[in-house]
Amino acid sequence: MIFKLDDTFDKPFIVSSETYTGFIKLFKDENPLHTDEKFAKTKGFKGRVMHGNILHGFISYFIGECLPVKNVIIHSQEIEFKNAVYLNDELQFKAVITGIYESVNTVEFKFYFKNAASNIVAKGKIQIGLLK
Amino acid sequence: MKIEDILKQVNEIFIDTLDNDQVIITETTTANDVEEWDSLTHIQLVVAIEKHFKIRFTSKEIQSWNNVGEMLTCIREKGV
Repeated sequence: MIFKLDDTFDKPFIVSSETYTGFIKLFKDENPLHTDEKFAKTKGFKGRVMHGNILHGFISYFIGECLPVKNVIIHSQEIEFKNAVYLNDELQFKAVITGIYESVNTVEFKFYFKNAASNIVAKGKIQIGLLK
Repeated sequence: MKIEDILKQVNEIFIDTLDNDQVIITETTTANDVEEWDSLTHIQLVVAIEKHFKIRFTSKEIQSWNNVGEMLTCIREKGV
């Protein structure tokens, strides 16, 4: 097993304009919370709230591209959104291996995303399989 | 722990993992008897059982099981 318990991975992400507009173009979620600055402010936010599921895309990138092996598949991922993310926010992603199940080639991570103010904006768990 | 007590706990794990509170497993149950028990669910079941009983299986052990009863025996042999 290439992974060890408590192995830690860090990766910065930016919710860029390209990511934001690309997400809307692909998935058509134009809810005013995400697209209307005034609307979002009337709901108590600083501005347009970025789609939470953009973070799922970052997780996909992390698992698919940032691990030391490519023979991986995501079994499951759970995420809790704790604070709003805004356009151009710089996020720090951190994942720690919390479980290794060699019998079924499975690894579990706990992760969080923090914003520049060091507030956790999302956290959760990912389970991946290592393909033979 | 007695096999029947392990079976009860494993049955609860099956119910939770398969999201089906109608599932009743016995020592003779196999994956063919439970509709939701596919290859991915099998991984989730093994992970949940390892976590619950704080044990670890080997891939060889898993591959040797022909039914739930053989899995229960394997769990007990690990000191549960």
